[in-house]
Amino acid sequence: MRKWLVRIFISGVVLFSLYPFVWMFLSSFKTNREIYMPTQLFPKNFDGHAYYDLLSDQYISFISYFTNSMVISGLQAFFATLVTAMAAFVFAKYNFRFQSLLFGVAILVILIPKQTIAVPLFDWMLLLGLQGSRWSMVLPGIASGLGIVFFTQSFKQIPNELIELAKVEGFSLFRTFLLIIPLFVPALLTYGLLHFILSWQEHLIPLLLLDDENITLPIALAKLRDSSHRIPEAVGMAAATISFIPIVVLFGFFFRKMKTALVDLSLS
Amino acid sequence: MILSRKDNFSLFALLFPFFALWAFFWVVPLFFSADLALQNASFHPDHRVILETQSEGQSGLEIDWFAQKSADFKAKPSVQYVGLENFYRVIGDAKFYKAMKNTAIYTFGSIFIILPLALLLSLSLFQLSRIPRGILVFCLMIPGLALPGVLSTLFYLFFHGRTGALNQYFVIPFGFRPINWMMDPLFIMPSLIIQSVWRWTGLVTLFFLCGLEAIPRWQFEALKMEGASFFLKLKTVFLPSLWNLALFAMVFLVVDGFASFSGAYNLLGGSGGIMDAGLLFVTYVYQVAFPGGSGRFDFPGATAMSLIVVPLTAFTLFLILQCRKIMIRE
Repeated sequence: MRKWLVRIFISGVVLFSLYPFVWMFLSSFKTNREIYMPTQLFPKNFDGHAYYDLLSDQYISFISYFTNSMVISGLQAFFATLVTAMAAFVFAKYNFRFQSLLFGVAILVILIPKQTIAVPLFDWMLLLGLQGSRWSMVLPGIASGLGIVFFTQSFKQIPNELIELAKVEGFSLFRTFLLIIPLFVPALLTYGLLHFILSWQEHLIPLLLLDDENITLPIALAKLRDSSHRIPEAVGMAAATISFIPIVVLFGFFFRKMKTALVDLSLS
Repeated sequence: MILSRKDNFSLFALLFPFFALWAFFWVVPLFFSADLALQNASFHPDHRVILETQSEGQSGLEIDWFAQKSADFKAKPSVQYVGLENFYRVIGDAKFYKAMKNTAIYTFGSIFIILPLALLLSLSLFQLSRIPRGILVFCLMIPGLALPGVLSTLFYLFFHGRTGALNQYFVIPFGFRPINWMMDPLFIMPSLIIQSVWRWTGLVTLFFLCGLEAIPRWQFEALKMEGASFFLKLKTVFLPSLWNLALFAMVFLVVDGFASFSGAYNLLGGSGGIMDAGLLFVTYVYQVAFPGGSGRFDFPGATAMSLIVVPLTAFTLFLILQCRKIMIRE
């Protein structure tokens, strides 16, 4: 009895969270009329018209926006993982002067949502002359407090013997770091992926900072929606479906590794 | 591990990239904002005017650097400082309080729904065997992976007037009058909260599930032998193992709640909705800084607003982290 209640509860929630996405995918084949009747799930006839219009740049240059998003999020995730892992390794395993001060200061970054300094950031980028370029999105995203917290917790599991051994061997800190980093592939992938997703979803900062030709997907999608409903809704749905695929694929691919890293994290 | 002097160089090399970027892209903008917030709002330095004309003319990066440098050089003496006037303006602004109140309701409302729901879900999922558990958690997480704008689009269509699916499936069959979700000021905030719950519950469930999986087996066996009730299990084993993750999730949700922009922006078309019932803090900052059409950019006002809020968020998060320390000591 209780078992069945649990199953019904779970399937109810799963249905609730998945149904809209099934609907989104099927809607990319519908006409406007069909879309405004949300109780109708299946389209009358499946033709890939919306996808064709979208990918042939009929309305917006979708492929180039997609590339922008990929490049920006990819670079940001890669550098953020590298840079925060390097700093966190030192914080987790060594004692040095000003350590706790520096750590506190690094963490302080999480306490300030980036969106709240968006306007001064815009002004600063203007002065630097970076405003409009992709780098204006990549560079500010790298120094992430969340990454420092995540990796410091992860690296605390490195046995002290290993560090001491490396010291006896006369390895520099940098070489020791390179030595242990292959052991932490799940953690690196997990954080990289999280960061990728967060920057993929970022809306306000790219809206402020990027030039028209460098905009990312969230803004492109918003563009598809307004302009007084000139563009068929199906095109928007097709764009949403395509923008969704890379994240789901990446995530599905690394899901196992991610769980390993999270279980490790909750132990420490 | 204590470091010797000869390690100083590599210590520096490992820490430098992070702190350089940190200083350059966090500290400098913060100082910038302090400076900006003291300036006269209705007075525009030249370099911003240049930008406006440029973004219309679609000129690329090549000119920007030089043009802005020189423009800035000229603009320097023309900045007017007005002291704390912008701050007074914000403090006297009723709309600002409205936005703050909405953001607080939005953030804490969603946290109070998400955490218990995720706890219930993870405890339920924990009873399943490994493979279906993984697949189902993955399904639950899918809304969190989609772009917030997409979520809003889907949501908009679901909430859309009388014909929306929510009304068709849940409201009308129970004999209520169809709710006009996006137009009725009473229901704008609940629909924003539902959206946030829909988006993040899966991720928090994953966190909790990983926490449950990390509990050593012998603890369950001991409980089984004792014949412990569900609530005893919850109190002695489940909750203690989840505290850390719950607080991490809370920090994440508070930051996300205060910073949320995309969802409401798409759902309400950049406005605050009818009677500003859905006006969130970041949306309001954006409205003040870039008022559509009028061309009067009030950067100083927007910055002053952000500066007032930064310590508030920082303090909220500090309180949450303090909770964690107390929990650990116990």
